[in-house]
Amino acid sequence: MTNVAPAPLLQVEGLTKTFGGVLALDALALSAGSGEVVGLIGPNGSGKTTFFNVTTGIYKPDAGSIVFKGKNLAGASPQTIHRAGISRTFQRSRLSLPLSIFDNIMIGAHTRRFNGLVFNLVCRGAFKHEYERMVEAARALLKVFEPELTDRLFEPVMGLPMIDRRRIEICRALISEPSLLFLDEPSAGMTHEETHALMDNILRVRAVHSSLAIVIVEHQMGVIERITDRCAVLNFGRKIAEGTYREVAGNAEVQEAYLGAEL
Amino acid sequence: MDAGLLAQHVMNGLMLGMMYSLVAVGFTLFFGVLDVIKFSHGDVLMVGAFAALAAYTALAGQALSPWLMLLAILAAAVVAMGLLGMAIAQAFVLPLRTAPALNTLLITLMLGTALREAVRLFYPQGANPKPFPALLPKASIDMGQFNLRADNAIMFAAGILSIVALQLFLKHTKLGLAIRAVAQDEETARTMGINFTMVVLITFGIGSALAAFAGVMNGLYYNEINFGMGLLLGVIGFSAAIVGGLGSIYGAILGGFLFAALQTIGAVAVPFASAYKDVFAFGVVILIMTIKPTGLIREKISERV
Amino acid sequence: MAREQGKRASILPGAAVLAVVTAYVIAILGADKQNTILILFGAGAAVVVLAGLFGLLKPIGRSFAAHETAFNWLAILAMLLIAGVFREEHFVLLLLVTLMLYAVAALGLTIQFGYAGVVNFAGASFFGIGAYTSAVLTVHTALPHLAIIFLGGVTAALAGAILLPPILRTSGHYAAVVTIAFALLFRSFIEVNDVLGGPQGLHLPGMQVFGWSFNDNITVGRWDISFYMSYFLLSLALLIFAFGLVQRLERSWIGLNFDALRLDETAASCFGIGVARWKAVAFLLGNMLIGFAGAVSGMVAGFVAPSNYTFADSLILVSILLLGGIGNAWGAIVATAFVVIVPEKLQTIQEYRFLLYAVMVILVLLFQPEGLLPRPVRRYFQS
Repeated sequence: MTNVAPAPLLQVEGLTKTFGGVLALDALALSAGSGEVVGLIGPNGSGKTTFFNVTTGIYKPDAGSIVFKGKNLAGASPQTIHRAGISRTFQRSRLSLPLSIFDNIMIGAHTRRFNGLVFNLVCRGAFKHEYERMVEAARALLKVFEPELTDRLFEPVMGLPMIDRRRIEICRALISEPSLLFLDEPSAGMTHEETHALMDNILRVRAVHSSLAIVIVEHQMGVIERITDRCAVLNFGRKIAEGTYREVAGNAEVQEAYLGAEL
Repeated sequence: MDAGLLAQHVMNGLMLGMMYSLVAVGFTLFFGVLDVIKFSHGDVLMVGAFAALAAYTALAGQALSPWLMLLAILAAAVVAMGLLGMAIAQAFVLPLRTAPALNTLLITLMLGTALREAVRLFYPQGANPKPFPALLPKASIDMGQFNLRADNAIMFAAGILSIVALQLFLKHTKLGLAIRAVAQDEETARTMGINFTMVVLITFGIGSALAAFAGVMNGLYYNEINFGMGLLLGVIGFSAAIVGGLGSIYGAILGGFLFAALQTIGAVAVPFASAYKDVFAFGVVILIMTIKPTGLIREKISERV
Repeated sequence: MAREQGKRASILPGAAVLAVVTAYVIAILGADKQNTILILFGAGAAVVVLAGLFGLLKPIGRSFAAHETAFNWLAILAMLLIAGVFREEHFVLLLLVTLMLYAVAALGLTIQFGYAGVVNFAGASFFGIGAYTSAVLTVHTALPHLAIIFLGGVTAALAGAILLPPILRTSGHYAAVVTIAFALLFRSFIEVNDVLGGPQGLHLPGMQVFGWSFNDNITVGRWDISFYMSYFLLSLALLIFAFGLVQRLERSWIGLNFDALRLDETAASCFGIGVARWKAVAFLLGNMLIGFAGAVSGMVAGFVAPSNYTFADSLILVSILLLGGIGNAWGAIVATAFVVIVPEKLQTIQEYRFLLYAVMVILVLLFQPEGLLPRPVRRYFQS
């Protein structure tokens, strides 16, 4: 290791996780700096989503460190990790379908809202004030993605098409103004055009929040090529290559891992 | 305490344990194939006992030998409950497959209430406890201060036999293999050409037949049945299944005997508080959930994030 | 939906419906002959079904939603009017008191089960804890009775706190069996405990507030008013409090946190929502409301006994929620009215009521799982 570069925003070392004897993550090391977009690729079952689940605290790691902003978060609760500034989307959309668009986004704003019993139940005037600020915040964020949705803030998510649901999911992850965003296969279940539109959205977010770091898991290599600065390739829970997309795509071991898979 | 009384308690505990185990095995089977909890299970047991009693009443004029009579009412109860179990699966459990798991719990809970109320309201004098005929030989072997009663010994042996038979069925028959395959991995089992619905129905049939068996056993042991008996047996059986780690048959049996042991020890340790035996039993259920909510044998991790 | 936002729905359809419903309830409560009652119930069901077929329910719902504050006051007025009509009738007033206390308990359960998704199959037990608390405290202490009612709720919440560790560590089926075990344990305990009166239970004196005895009949000018009127007003006040609390909870960040953890615990915790904390808040608040209602009910009845707080009664509370539409406060109240009034007025049904409700809930779960009055999407403030 060199000692010239400043410590990156996220520095994962030796991260290991087993499920019933199967190594899902094998001493994985990964870093992401402020403003950087890192792609995480690899065949199915190579540990990409497990990496997200361990770094966001859903699973406890068996070994390794997750240093974020200089603090080791390995083994911390999902709540603590979120409060530290990490937010995420899920591979299978996990919006609360019966709730409105606004409610779904507000779930992500938990750290920005005041949750005291007295404030919520008794001080309705103050609550209304905060509520109106939140509506504005949700509208402003949604506008970056799909201005049309801002008029439908209080409609249930249930009836919306997949692309809008993805957009709302990303808004939910962004409303807390995190320093690091995990995107777990944002293109899943969408057409090529929809994926393209969503990537435009993400690039626009990036342009506005230049310090936001993003780690993205994606199967569509076009997406990876277009938006990432750097990629890491996983196979059987190990990192087998790292570099820019072009470097990685030319790597023999990577091609072997993907043999038969799309690349 | 003298050895004879102790042996008496042990026998009592073993009988209780056998009944709990039979109920717990049912819960485990259902959970295995369908990942659902069928809360009406205890009430199916109760209906099974009443079915046996009804069969007895119907056959009372036939001058059958006690053994033949026992076989007849046992067969009636087991077959009727097997069919009822399948009907429940078909009409109430399978249609809710895609709904939240809580709905299955609620619907079977309500179904249990409906069964309980139906027996109370429509079985002749169903609201009162009913005497259950003593059909097993009353002989006993005197062993010092302890009487080994033949009926208890026979029931216990029959319980063990039924569990062994179930194990053999699951291990060595094609159908048993299909059930285990579905329990392992439903999707793969389907692609291998296993008729999923059929497997579910048969599993529910078998589990409910076991409950009927336990119900008859309960009647023979206490010489009395009542419409509310299934509730207690259901809750304890379910807790036993959880303690054993839902999905494992040996775990369920272990859990059943563990519960019976705790209850018996409780009765021995604080004999003056015998009125509190149910309070104690349910207290243990809550305590075990507090200490070891996922069971002593770990449940498979099912949630995929 | 967006189109409707422009013009506000008229108050008239809702007001007309409220007037008709009030008259209908008065007719039902006043009817004596079983045949009359049967015809009234039949007619009521037919009107609702027809209104549904002709698409009249939606505009009525919109009218109610658009003039919410006005209708809340009108509903209170309607209740007072009904009580005024039956001011001399002990039985009817007692029925209304029972209805309102059950509605409070159902609202408590709405917080737990409807919002936070914490199952509670021991609702009747917590109701019983409130009732037994009021019995023991009125007999053995000189505490003011309003304080005793408050303590009834607190005791129920504290008793529920004992169940929190297993409920928070588990979910779904496991939490369900914990509360079922508690319901059976509680019933068994009060039945065998001699201090609490065993199967016969305990008697308690009538309620007194600021020297006013609730068990005396009231004479106002030329009117003789049943002593139950005092309990009616107290229960109505409690119901208004409970409804206000539940509605404000729902329309706040707390209600949102509840929904988030009910619908997806994992996602909720990834956004910093403390799952255990909010489950605990919901469970304690809900049990407190149930305990308040139980404490008042003990004082109204003048005695408490184990047979009133069975597992079957707990299941009725859950049935009310499922029939009314889980999480819909008005749905819970309407369903409570149905569940309480129908068996009391139709004597033939009385014996079969547990079976009837069980079958109804099974049908609802199979064919209309969101209940008869599904919960609307949250609005934090009236538009």
